[in-house]
Amino acid sequence: MSVALQAQAIDVATEYAHLVGDAPGAAVATFTGYVRDHTDQQAVTELALEHYPEMAQKVLDELGHAAAERFQLSQWRIVHRYGVLGVSETIVWVGAVADHRGEAISACEFMMDSLKTDAPFWKREQRLTGEQWVTSRDSDNARRARWQSVEVE
Amino acid sequence: MSITIKLFSALREALGESEFELDLVGMEPAASELDVAAIKAALSKRGAAWRDALNQPNVVHALNHKVVFTDALVSEGDELAFFPPMTGG
Repeated sequence: MSVALQAQAIDVATEYAHLVGDAPGAAVATFTGYVRDHTDQQAVTELALEHYPEMAQKVLDELGHAAAERFQLSQWRIVHRYGVLGVSETIVWVGAVADHRGEAISACEFMMDSLKTDAPFWKREQRLTGEQWVTSRDSDNARRARWQSVEVE
Repeated sequence: MSITIKLFSALREALGESEFELDLVGMEPAASELDVAAIKAALSKRGAAWRDALNQPNVVHALNHKVVFTDALVSEGDELAFFPPMTGG
């Protein structure tokens, strides 16, 4: 049940082993995000991730605990990178352990949808045409809002 | 009597500063009634670049690491950050 903010690549196999080893459960779900090589049909050659360390730690910690409570998780982990990342490198990893697959999968989706809009990270893409800050997407906000509307129900 | 101001991403770039102390002495309204809007108004007096950057409709304000509205009250020693919408993950 922890958060890691790190510059180095995410060791997915080790993260998985720790996640499952600490609290074995019937259902384990994980999500790994990688730097894509294009945005809106433009080639991306590098990604720089700026972050607000103290707030990122706090927001992700609260997010993990919210997921644990909401989806009855026995274990969770969020790893997010910062700094300069190359194409195809890992950027984010979340894992959830629960009694049933629905909770484990939903928890990963909830954590990812929430961190996209709520965790203080900012992407700057190096494109062939120059550097550019990535702007927030309506589709990401809509995915985040989905969980809020479920909360209200 | 001051607070810490932090700027991130495009705001940091546009304003050329990432972190500084802002003295609250002599600010209007009195320090006990200062909110985020008042701090934004004070910083906006630094020039057009500040006014334009801080008053964009999508600017996010985080007070002591929590996103707040502009009516949140600010006290001595607080950390107030301004930044564009977040794009993590």
